[in-house]
Amino acid sequence: MSHSKIETSNNFKTPIFAILVLGIIFAAGLFIVGFDQGHIFSLVYGEQAFTDLYIHELTHDMRHAAGFPCH
Amino acid sequence: MISGALAGLIHGTVNFAIVEPYLDQAIGIENQNLFASGEEEDTQEFWVEYEGYRMWQKSGQILAGVILGTSIGALFGIVFALSRNSLPGNHDVKKSLVLAGVMWFTLYLIPFLKYPANPPTVGDTETVVLRAILYLSFIAISGFGALAFYKLSKKFKNNKKLVSLIGYGVFITAVFFAMPENPDEINAPMTLVNEFRLMSVLGVSSFWISIGFLLGLFWNRFESHKESIPYT
Repeated sequence: MSHSKIETSNNFKTPIFAILVLGIIFAAGLFIVGFDQGHIFSLVYGEQAFTDLYIHELTHDMRHAAGFPCH
Repeated sequence: MISGALAGLIHGTVNFAIVEPYLDQAIGIENQNLFASGEEEDTQEFWVEYEGYRMWQKSGQILAGVILGTSIGALFGIVFALSRNSLPGNHDVKKSLVLAGVMWFTLYLIPFLKYPANPPTVGDTETVVLRAILYLSFIAISGFGALAFYKLSKKFKNNKKLVSLIGYGVFITAVFFAMPENPDEINAPMTLVNEFRLMSVLGVSSFWISIGFLLGLFWNRFESHKESIPYT
């Protein structure tokens, strides 16, 4: 009796450049949703951004729901 | 990243259904505190503005889910690409689900047990940076600890691999007790807090299950480097 089976192998290397880009996307997304306290918009709006907390308020519900520290 | 974005969309939608009622309840307590302290007045204008603001925040939950999902999807993709050959299972979906389970446990559940999610009303604005540093540090320690013990396990053979698993358990238990406690007092009803935390775990778990399934499916479908080796 013969058996037929498909095996898969992964013999390619993950490009360093791809890892770098994905790493930046990971860090940026995590910061936006989990930790920004006005830092990103302060680049444009200055100190006012730390009072408005626009991104913080927009991601507020997900911050709480995903377990990130919030006020 | 697409699998992460889709899983994030699922996460946001699940949260919208099961977490939002608890957020509304907690914010309701905050509003009552504002009225009691005289910072706000219980007027129709307040409630009209509040409802509009909450709708904006609730829609932000879905958007944030997609952003967070894309972000974690990027990390998950890196780890899966680098560890795929070592993961157990004969199918990419199985491998991906195993990895999702490991990352859910080390990057979410263990940090959650130390620093559990809290609803609004719990958490002092003055301590938010400290709490963020503690939470992120614990996630990083747990994640890199798991990676280090996994690397160690590669040096052992067969049943001795259990040693590295126990090693990680001992290591993370020591870190768990060494890390400082959340400095904030819980000043909301514990029933609300506990039910919120349960819903939070269910929501985040839905994300990890989704991303594990979707990435494995996409990888299996689109991978161009696959070699088929039929044998009899």
